[in-house]
Amino acid sequence: MDHQQTHSSNPRELQMARSMCWHCQSEVSGEYFCDRCVKVQPVSKETDYFTCFGFPRRLTIDPGKLEAKFYELSRAFHPDFYQNKSETEQSISLGNAATLNSAYRTLRDPIQRVEYLLDLEAGSVKEIRNSPPADLFEEILELQDTLDEYRASDRTSDAGQQLRTQLQAEQVTLEQRKRDMETQLQQLFTDWDLLQDRGEATSQARSERDRLLKQMREILSNRTYVKSIVNDLVATIG
Amino acid sequence: MAYSDKVVDHFNNPRNMGSFKKDEEGVGTGMVGAPECGDVMKLQIKVQNDMIVDAKFKTFGCGSAIASSSLATEWLKGKTIEEAQKIKNTDIVQELNLPPVKIHCSVLAEDAIKAALADYQKKADGTPTAAK
Repeated sequence: MDHQQTHSSNPRELQMARSMCWHCQSEVSGEYFCDRCVKVQPVSKETDYFTCFGFPRRLTIDPGKLEAKFYELSRAFHPDFYQNKSETEQSISLGNAATLNSAYRTLRDPIQRVEYLLDLEAGSVKEIRNSPPADLFEEILELQDTLDEYRASDRTSDAGQQLRTQLQAEQVTLEQRKRDMETQLQQLFTDWDLLQDRGEATSQARSERDRLLKQMREILSNRTYVKSIVNDLVATIG
Repeated sequence: MAYSDKVVDHFNNPRNMGSFKKDEEGVGTGMVGAPECGDVMKLQIKVQNDMIVDAKFKTFGCGSAIASSSLATEWLKGKTIEEAQKIKNTDIVQELNLPPVKIHCSVLAEDAIKAALADYQKKADGTPTAAK
């Protein structure tokens, strides 16, 4: 979990794309501030959210460390410190603060974090469709019929009560399934991080990487389906 | 966001809701989902002599997804397999006046049509003796 320990804890030494300082044109080697003129530097567009915080591309992140880093950088770009600076510096710091906010929101949530990683590693998770889980779909559609039946029923009647009990049981089962999927994801996070830590370039490592990405994407999709039917259940019998 | 009148109409009076038995002769089933929003769509066609004589759907999702699949089943009926292949999501977008954020619903409907046709074809190719 201590991935960032191998990296410097100083936000000014983050690995960002090499570029020139907009102000003094000296080379800026991945820092938020120029070494020479100390002017704030914009986060490069190519910089991913992990790198923004100086974290390696790992799926297990210590929330406390992420938060601490976020506060530290938020202070560094806080508008208060730029009031007497040039317009350029004000707009750069504002842009950086905005990027960091999105980065923080994304990385803080494990689901959003893994979706983001899949975006980076395998193209958009949303674009790629796995072969649909037919059994799950049938189940969802059947459940939806029962929900419709319940909505149309007299809720105080025996039949209505019975449907309600049935739906409640379904809800419990589905919620458990969602939790199981999240546990599975957790395990895949660990597997992914271990694979990255080993840093092998073998074909075996590559196929393991593809397998993990594919599996994570599949679980994420299925989780969304389960989540959306659970939401419907809760809204109806809640 | 306001739905167009046509979406509301399909949503309130969905056409051809229901399902056929999957193993019924001449039935092709398309089952697709949108992992980004959790919508699930099942679209089925019943084919006789290369003509789609009936179509049914079941959709779990938003109003636009329901309207898109409802409209798709309406359009499918009476079409040949070849004509059905030509239905595009953009046709659905136009007919239902879908806003940009709901275009993926029409994509889902097109995917469902394609999947149903492919399933029918697969079944037809796999069981050449089943033709009566």
